[in-house]
Amino acid sequence: MTHKEQSFISKYIFSTDHKVIGKQFLWMGLFFLLLGGFQALLIRWQLGHPEQQVPIWLFGSYLFEDGMMTSDHYNQLITMHGTIMIFWAITPLLIGAFGNFVIPLQIGAPDMVFPKLNMFSFWTFFLSGVVLVASYFLPGGTAAAGWTSYPPLSTPVGGIPGLGQVFWTLSITLMGAATMMGAINYITTIIRSRAPGMGYFKMPLTIWGLFLTSILNAIFVPVIAAGLILLLLDNVLGTNFFIAGGTASIAGGDPLLYQHVFWIFGHPEVYILILPAWGIVSDLLSVFSRKPAFGYKVTAICMCVIVALSTVVWGHHMYTTGMSPLLGKAFMFLTLLISIPSSIFFLNWLGTLWRGNLKFEPPMLFAIAVLWVFGLGGLTGLYNATVTSDIYLHDTMFVVGHFHYTMAASVLLGGLAAIYFWFPKMFGKSMNPLLGKLHFWASFIPLNLVFFNMMVMGYAGHHRRIFNPMEYEFLKPLAGLNEFVTTMAIILGAAQFIFVFNFIYSMAKGKKAEVNPWKAATLEWTVEAPIPHGNFAAVPTVYNGPHEYSHPGVSDRDWIAQSEPLPAEG
Amino acid sequence: MRRIITRNWISGITKKLQWFKRGAWGIWFIDPPKDVSLDGHRIDSVIQYTDTVITIYFGIVVLALIYFIFKYRTRPGHKAVYDKGNSKKHVSISVVMGLLVFFSIDVVIESMSFRDLKEAFWNFPKGDDVIRIEVMPQQFKWNFRYPGDDERFGPESFSDMNSDEVWDEDESFIDANGNGYWDPSDDIVLMSEMHIPVNRPVVIQIAPYDVIHSFFLPNFRVKIDATPGMVNAMWFQAKETGVFEIACAELCGNSHYMMKGKLVVESEEDYNKWLRSQEIEGPRDDWYDPDYGLFHWGWEWKEVI
Repeated sequence: MTHKEQSFISKYIFSTDHKVIGKQFLWMGLFFLLLGGFQALLIRWQLGHPEQQVPIWLFGSYLFEDGMMTSDHYNQLITMHGTIMIFWAITPLLIGAFGNFVIPLQIGAPDMVFPKLNMFSFWTFFLSGVVLVASYFLPGGTAAAGWTSYPPLSTPVGGIPGLGQVFWTLSITLMGAATMMGAINYITTIIRSRAPGMGYFKMPLTIWGLFLTSILNAIFVPVIAAGLILLLLDNVLGTNFFIAGGTASIAGGDPLLYQHVFWIFGHPEVYILILPAWGIVSDLLSVFSRKPAFGYKVTAICMCVIVALSTVVWGHHMYTTGMSPLLGKAFMFLTLLISIPSSIFFLNWLGTLWRGNLKFEPPMLFAIAVLWVFGLGGLTGLYNATVTSDIYLHDTMFVVGHFHYTMAASVLLGGLAAIYFWFPKMFGKSMNPLLGKLHFWASFIPLNLVFFNMMVMGYAGHHRRIFNPMEYEFLKPLAGLNEFVTTMAIILGAAQFIFVFNFIYSMAKGKKAEVNPWKAATLEWTVEAPIPHGNFAAVPTVYNGPHEYSHPGVSDRDWIAQSEPLPAEG
Repeated sequence: MRRIITRNWISGITKKLQWFKRGAWGIWFIDPPKDVSLDGHRIDSVIQYTDTVITIYFGIVVLALIYFIFKYRTRPGHKAVYDKGNSKKHVSISVVMGLLVFFSIDVVIESMSFRDLKEAFWNFPKGDDVIRIEVMPQQFKWNFRYPGDDERFGPESFSDMNSDEVWDEDESFIDANGNGYWDPSDDIVLMSEMHIPVNRPVVIQIAPYDVIHSFFLPNFRVKIDATPGMVNAMWFQAKETGVFEIACAELCGNSHYMMKGKLVVESEEDYNKWLRSQEIEGPRDDWYDPDYGLFHWGWEWKEVI
């Protein structure tokens, strides 16, 4: 399965090789991750030090007049931070980069089923990023209606000047198109291109996570695309789909419709982001415990159940919209049901560690950290799922802390685990494990102090998206805590430079990696990096499940690859 | 002089240490705003129950994690046990533990929540005792309307609030279709300040002028969104007098953070006195402009719910 020689452009730019496309997504995701993280620091600066100049090391005097942030800037920052982190950092990192890189390799396929579609997916995604970044150069600035962009605020009657919202809507629609292409490709590849012998229940859990994510993407991205196109029409053609009340030019719009459309997509989106991380963490725990994933089938089934439930719980984002009591109760019941499959597979994660032989390499540290943050994030979801406590906590920093634990922290730590784990296969070099461990501790501790204290502040009534909390008497006691959280966020941000250094240094001057440095059993570790276009010299045949570690029938080592037949049981 | 400066410097350090301590141990030091409402304790108790139970469960998880990390760490001679965890015993243990979590947390808070919704938050008070107030948020302030002497809010319905017709005092009692209006001029219209008597149920109906806002009373643990095109309702009852803050909890534009209101909870006597003073002066103060559409908002009170 050799491919003929290619020019530089067709090899590295308009490539149809899933591994190159995966790396392209990785670079883009890391770029936007840094941008979004920088914005987070600016937001935190404002909350911790309101009415003070943004310091020079945050580029204060370059970004703002006299270094003073205005509330317009602030609203643009929170909007773009959320948008970028969700759609341009996490999505390309976990789904774009690792989805592309890992799926064909782990299922034993030569490439994606639709390599050209894969290329179009990346370049559409790139275009969407260009449109988004272009909105920074508009005279009125970027969109400023929050990452949810609830109309009528996000329409012309909302009073936010400029074309930022139009660019935002366009770029997310483009991003949606790119995601759709990817999703169709992933689903088809996983269904059609598995190596002989690889049944669904022999797929690594990473593939399960990416498979379910792609299904959710394929179903729900069109929903948000429809909503956004209506929003775009409201913005450019003067329609009134989502405009009502005193500012509507004609009667008949309904802002609430947008919220339903948004969250029908938006809640599954949470799972779209987190499922790949769950899958990766499940596999990594098994690799570094040298032990099969505990209750593999049950974990896979629980993930499927959660996916099914995630499609019918969007209403819990809308308890305070004046929702009918019957609906509120139904959504609450359905939401709380999710805790059953979640706790079962959480227990399976613990079960994997139980009686294992734990090796604390950087990927393992990050995987265990996901256990921690997802445990906390999942449990604090209970407050928001309950109608009465949500009446108080909705739209407060509690919600911000909660979704940063579930979405940001678990997905980010999961993504970092994945980078540390697959780096040797992607670049053929090893990363420095000591710097990796340092990066872990320097991230994990401040990360918890930031997000946990956000929940504490939310419980004290600190509502979201306010430029200056000191406007309110009841928030004055929180000034110290806000400042503390800001300091911790700065430490968290600074710690990422360890990672950036390690990443770049290892890529340039790292030690050459072994074929299988982690002694993992899945198929991608049977080929030597750099993997040629076409992946496997011969299509592998799969004999075992993905987690054959410490098998009693194998005596000379503690793992056996999926493509090696097990010795006859004796 | 020098001494004072030194002392300031020291007190600066002490202050820094204090905020660090407060920050690091935020959870032990910071309470939610004082609950002054009849039913706020219900929300607090759901939160406290959840706090307690999830602390226990998360504590167990953390202890297990620490134990596993220590006990099963890799070391010479240590081997993992080959166990796929697929046996009936293992699967049923994890399913049973999953159900245990569900029944000990979810079912309990769900029934607490259903009970509270039924008994309090979605059980709107009726009768003469009830104070009715209409709220219309707009960028970036709160408008409040009391029905006045005639006990009716008027005259225009919400849907034609934006109609071109300009209020004409002479024809104020008959509309284009020949239907009678009731006199709106006795309505009490206020900006950014809301008065209620203590120990009486207050029902608000809320609809915004422009974008989505959210009426949040931290001291009462309640909030309700105001969405254009629909009238939402919420009720609460104060059990203490005082002045409390109203916050806008939904991003509504660049001055969202300044969109706060004042809630004055007074004794019955003070409230009536205040109400009378408003009625005498009425909305036809010097600031009342009959051509200004925002004085004509208001809708007929919706008795459903």
